[in-house]
Amino acid sequence: MTLEDNLKAKILEWDEEGLIEICKSAIEKNEASATDILKMIGNVMEYVGELYEKEEYFVPELIVASNTVKAAIDQVLDPAIKEMGVEKETKGKVVLGTVEGDVHSIGKDLVGSFLFANGYEVFNLGVEVPAAKFIEKAEEVGAKVIGLSSLLTMSMDFQRKVINELEQKGLRDKYIVIIGGAPTSEDWAGEIGADGWADDALETVSLLNNLLS
Amino acid sequence: MKLNKLKVLSNEEIQTIHSATMELMSTVGVKMDAKDVQDLFEKHGATVDPDTDFVKIPEYLVKEQLKNVPNSFKLHGPDGSYSFEVNTESTKFASLPCPVSIYDKTQKKGIRKSTLADTIKQIRIVNALEHISSCQYDLWAHDVPFMELHCHALRAWARHSYKPYGMGCFGKIASQDMMNIASIIVGSEEDLIKRPRLIGFFSPTSPLHLPQIMTNGLAIFAKYKQPTIIAPEALAGSSAPVTLAGLLTQINAEILGGIILAQLYNSGAPVFYASVSHVTDMRSGNSALGSIETGLITAGVAQMANLYNIPSRALGGATDSKVFDLQNGIERLQTLMLAAQAGINYITCAGTYEATLSEALELLVIDDELVGMVQRALEGVEVNEDTIGLDIIKKVATSTQKGTTFLGEKHTLKHMRKELYFPTLLDRNRRATWRKKGSKDIMMRARERVDEILETQKGPGLSSEVENKLADYIKMVSERSIDFYTQAEGISASSVTIDNIEIKKEDLK
Repeated sequence: MTLEDNLKAKILEWDEEGLIEICKSAIEKNEASATDILKMIGNVMEYVGELYEKEEYFVPELIVASNTVKAAIDQVLDPAIKEMGVEKETKGKVVLGTVEGDVHSIGKDLVGSFLFANGYEVFNLGVEVPAAKFIEKAEEVGAKVIGLSSLLTMSMDFQRKVINELEQKGLRDKYIVIIGGAPTSEDWAGEIGADGWADDALETVSLLNNLLS
Repeated sequence: MKLNKLKVLSNEEIQTIHSATMELMSTVGVKMDAKDVQDLFEKHGATVDPDTDFVKIPEYLVKEQLKNVPNSFKLHGPDGSYSFEVNTESTKFASLPCPVSIYDKTQKKGIRKSTLADTIKQIRIVNALEHISSCQYDLWAHDVPFMELHCHALRAWARHSYKPYGMGCFGKIASQDMMNIASIIVGSEEDLIKRPRLIGFFSPTSPLHLPQIMTNGLAIFAKYKQPTIIAPEALAGSSAPVTLAGLLTQINAEILGGIILAQLYNSGAPVFYASVSHVTDMRSGNSALGSIETGLITAGVAQMANLYNIPSRALGGATDSKVFDLQNGIERLQTLMLAAQAGINYITCAGTYEATLSEALELLVIDDELVGMVQRALEGVEVNEDTIGLDIIKKVATSTQKGTTFLGEKHTLKHMRKELYFPTLLDRNRRATWRKKGSKDIMMRARERVDEILETQKGPGLSSEVENKLADYIKMVSERSIDFYTQAEGISASSVTIDNIEIKKEDLK
């Protein structure tokens, strides 16, 4: 079995510890660099994505696969890449959160998992995130995208607040701002000056792929 | 016999779920952020973890407080001329909250944001429906500032409706406004408390969390004895275990937590043991309101409510369809039928589609028809000497006159209106007749009925004295700032926690 076959086997068995072991061992034995291993994992996640689109895998399989992979990235690959002194290759950094006054997180977390599974680096700030915090994190990590989720009609206005604050700080053009959530719509995105809107997690991936290409 | 009750849990299984809930409530607890709630529970023997806000509720406290929960209560319309009782035996039907868009075929997309004018139309239509007892704030009025929504909604209700109404327990300030406004409408606070008009909607956040904005509002609804629906909307597989038994156990803790809190706020406060819980669609991660499992969960809820002898509420008429197609019909009827057959005492079911994101006025009248059908189903089959009718069978079968049928018999005349449901919107004509009448489908026929109602329906109206008082009140509300609310509700980081829940007149300005 090749290294990639091994990685794939561990991921599809949801074996976090096993995956971490293989990554550590491969780096220690100089079988592959951390950046190469990350690319191989990316290939496996693309395969997982295909299984999801074919409806052989469903949302929980996608999330568990992402969590398995995330553990290995956080614990082994990211530190190793840092040591190499190189910049980690990703499709883009995305700061994600549910806006102020809203505790709903499932949709946003799904978006996070799907984006991660599709090669984006996601910073999930959780729920009830004030506008300032979105901007602070985006500045800190050098994000390209800010994603705002709202499930309550009453919290939708806080999506507008984030965009207004970016404008006030002269940072609006620096970021792509996308929004989502059940009561929101493409019209609402237009009304508040967002760059895009998506109906669900899968659509968000397409949206970002388009906006960033 | 009447239709027998749908059961998904054996008696032993009910006890198993109850025991598991008691273990969950006493060892894990329910998260309640509000300090006043924590203090209240602690005073009655619960243990509060100040770091996590989890309140561990011992079984004896549950048992003790459940004794005070009424098993029946009445609801009244604004002028008091119409009322009905909610209890643990009967089934009442209401509309379903709370869409944010409305079907409008003049729009390119067939849909648009709803407005206060739509909210009013919906109130008026519910008023005219035979089988729908009540409504609540069911259609979001996007053209009204959201801090004033509750005021405009209540005023519209009082002007146009003879039936009771309902609103979310969204904070103590808004809830107190609702009580103040309702008191102006009905004449006095005493009458409002004596003859409740408002149903409160209390929404836990699954899993196991009663947020402060909701408990703040519950305090007011309990104080004024307005029956409050304690209804988690847990989704199997995302905010509750994917296993339905696990979901039923978890929401049981959430519901009982809310019900006990209501009793601690005001012993004897009327409540509904309720749920709008359903499942996650594992393909999209979306909620699947029209799923077959919704009915199974609802049936479990009915049985648990029965154990505690508390009137139950759940949803029906739910569909995930975005159009008026077979999926819409299939899902709305099966969710309704399962809830009714399970014996849910108050079923909110009329008017919505697209997972309650959208409303169609036509669906209100169609659901009224569905409820009529379902009510007939619940009646089952009546068996007695008269209904068996041996004599009439003999008479018609042995009649020497060829072609004798039961159609002309007095027995048929006597029984038909009770035995058969007479639909007003379902078409059973043969094709030629149907064509002659315009080849209409049910949506078209429903539209005609909607137009007819909007043309003729009249509400009680309000005296100029009440109108003036309401106008003054709304003006006062419109002058408040959002910061006023967040501070008063204690939900912003910079807020001051308000220890007692008594609202003084000064607090409202």
